[in-house]
Amino acid sequence: MSAPSGPRFDAARVPFGLQFAGVRRRFSDAAGSFFRIFRRSLELRIVGITVALSALAIVGTSTYMAYSIGGGLFDARVEQVTNEAARATKAAQSTFDSSTATDAAALSVLQGTVLEEIGAVATSASGIWFRRGPDTPANSSLPEATQGRVDEVVSTALSEQVTTGSLRQYWQSVAVPRSDGVVEPGIVVGSTIDVPQAGVYEMYLLFSLEDVGESLGFVQGTLAIGGVLLLLLIAAVSWVVVQFVISPIRVAAETSRKLAAGHLEERIPVRGDDVLATLAQSFNGMADSLEDQITQLARLSQLQQRFVSDVSHELRTPLTTIRLAGDVLYDRRIGFDAPTARTAELLHTQVERFELLLSDLLEISRYDAHAVDIDREPVNLVRLVEDAIEGVESLAERKGSTITLVAPGGHFEGEMDGRRIRRIVRNLLSNAIEHGEGRPIEVMVDSNEDAVALSVRDHGIGMAPADTARVFDRFWRADPSRQRTTGGTGLGLAISLEDASLHRGALDVWSEKGVGTCFRLTLPRQMDTPFGSSPLPLGPEEDPQ
Amino acid sequence: MSDATAGPVILVVDDDPALAEMIGIVLRADGLDPVFCGDGSGALDAFRRARPDLVLLDLMLPGLDGISVCERIRAESGTPIIMLTAKSDTADVVKGLETGADDYIVKPFDPKELTARIRARLRPLAVQNGFLQIGDLSIDATGHEVRRGDERIALTPLEFDLLHTLASKPEQVFTREMLLEQVWGYHYKADTRLVNVHVQRLRAKVEKDAENPRIVTTVRGVGYRAGAAV
Repeated sequence: MSAPSGPRFDAARVPFGLQFAGVRRRFSDAAGSFFRIFRRSLELRIVGITVALSALAIVGTSTYMAYSIGGGLFDARVEQVTNEAARATKAAQSTFDSSTATDAAALSVLQGTVLEEIGAVATSASGIWFRRGPDTPANSSLPEATQGRVDEVVSTALSEQVTTGSLRQYWQSVAVPRSDGVVEPGIVVGSTIDVPQAGVYEMYLLFSLEDVGESLGFVQGTLAIGGVLLLLLIAAVSWVVVQFVISPIRVAAETSRKLAAGHLEERIPVRGDDVLATLAQSFNGMADSLEDQITQLARLSQLQQRFVSDVSHELRTPLTTIRLAGDVLYDRRIGFDAPTARTAELLHTQVERFELLLSDLLEISRYDAHAVDIDREPVNLVRLVEDAIEGVESLAERKGSTITLVAPGGHFEGEMDGRRIRRIVRNLLSNAIEHGEGRPIEVMVDSNEDAVALSVRDHGIGMAPADTARVFDRFWRADPSRQRTTGGTGLGLAISLEDASLHRGALDVWSEKGVGTCFRLTLPRQMDTPFGSSPLPLGPEEDPQ
Repeated sequence: MSDATAGPVILVVDDDPALAEMIGIVLRADGLDPVFCGDGSGALDAFRRARPDLVLLDLMLPGLDGISVCERIRAESGTPIIMLTAKSDTADVVKGLETGADDYIVKPFDPKELTARIRARLRPLAVQNGFLQIGDLSIDATGHEVRRGDERIALTPLEFDLLHTLASKPEQVFTREMLLEQVWGYHYKADTRLVNVHVQRLRAKVEKDAENPRIVTTVRGVGYRAGAAV
């Protein structure tokens, strides 16, 4: 099948209703996109509304003008033709009155003369009907005469008015069918003529209004063209005016966007002394105070981070002395009596714990100060996890947990900071052991096309949802009353989360009280390409067993 | 305990008297002979006076900072220098190593770590005889000398150790971890920047063109070896 016939074939198969719906949908889509543009563009909206309202006004005025001009033209024409008709009637009447003709032949000649006379007086008349009045016998000697098909357009109402009315003249608007079928406007003026030898005759004169129509058409055309030009002018003017008003607003919008994006030094140039200048001034004032406050906050936060960092550093020297002293005592504890030996032991372990806390605190303060570098090297995540499991095996044995590793994927060298990832894994493992209640712990490693993931699942005490939400908070403990065995610092998960974010990865948690907890670390294969979904599930419903 | 004059002399440059005294106790307990200096400006005089076998140098010092002290000592002697640092921040450590420190210890450390690091730098070189030839360099293991033709190249003991270790097995590629263990005496995973920095310092001294090394060559993704890459 050739390509162009494809769509046609499809269209033929679509029921008509659906096609129609399709057309309607396309139409409503077009209308929708138009309205969207209309809604989004203030200038378009203002110009549109201005043009619409002006068009309404222009159409109104033009209609009124056309109507009154048309009326005036018509009235003038009516007056002209009635005058002409009156003069023609008068001339005809006087010709008949002064005539002495009695026989039919003479009257016929006379009638011809009268008709010529009338033609000379009523120069704009296009037709005439000379007709016997109702009381004139049909065999009277003066015959009826017609020119220009006037007899076809005179209504009985007009002839009744003419024969019975008290006025000398009556007129009526008529539609005159031309020979080419076009109907043109006209006026028929009727009057009576008393022919002395024959009786009362009705005389109708037809005047064409075509020239009036032409004038009116010209006026209307001029009005229409003028109106359209005026509308275009109004559109252009309102567009220009709107630009004047809107460009400062646009500058303000752009400036506030930049401000929001962190360019605190952005300001609006203030010009003139009008309301827009006031807007610019108050906007700049707001930006000033915003900048001051943010700078102050940033300085305070910097001071605070600096303080934490300094404290951590300053503590290290005395801590080193304490550590050395404690260790010297600890190494000689065999020579001490039991309570002193135990004291040396406690001193030793607690100094170690203090040291851990201090180094975690320093690490967190480095993250807070954004003074963290990523040290990338090729790392095989599966091998890294194997090493980490080996490192905690003795601790797991003491707690009664077995750790199994399932690794369907992840057997490749990924670019990551091995030290940080190792720290995360060690942390997740020791958490699982501590809260795993001696039940088995499953570790999974898998990868997909854009990410590699690791999950650590325990079947221990688990956490309530409110606790789960706070698990990455600093110094936060799910159950403060629980006895600590692995001596964590309370900063481990917070640091792990920072480490994961540094790799543009994610650290997620699932937990249910009494069922267990699952932590999942997902890292992008390439640091610069964000990953779609994690290769590993989070939670129990998708557990492998 | 031991005879103060018998042990190797260690110059401890630290402004914290308590820590200095405690380090002194630990060093004496290990048979070493500590001498002390409390500020940076006096450190060089103390070094010249005491002629120590090793310097323990705090990086944060009043007067003259540790990096400058390290630079000045290195300018006149190859005596091993171990930095004591409260910062494990990359920049400071690398700067210290680049100015010629052989090793560093991050505070807080334990006594065993301290003495192990000192002993590793003080350990007498294994008795090695004869000459080694690598490229146009001749290494005299007994005389602790490196020559290019008639020109004697001055190396610190650490640099000599590094070069000698590589040159003794020219067919072998040494990973950074192997060098850390054999030259620095680390038996656990340590900072491989130590190796990188000192290979650079060694190259600056022994290579004709440090940009295009022919004595100590890099084997990409593995480590280093002596001689031109095959």
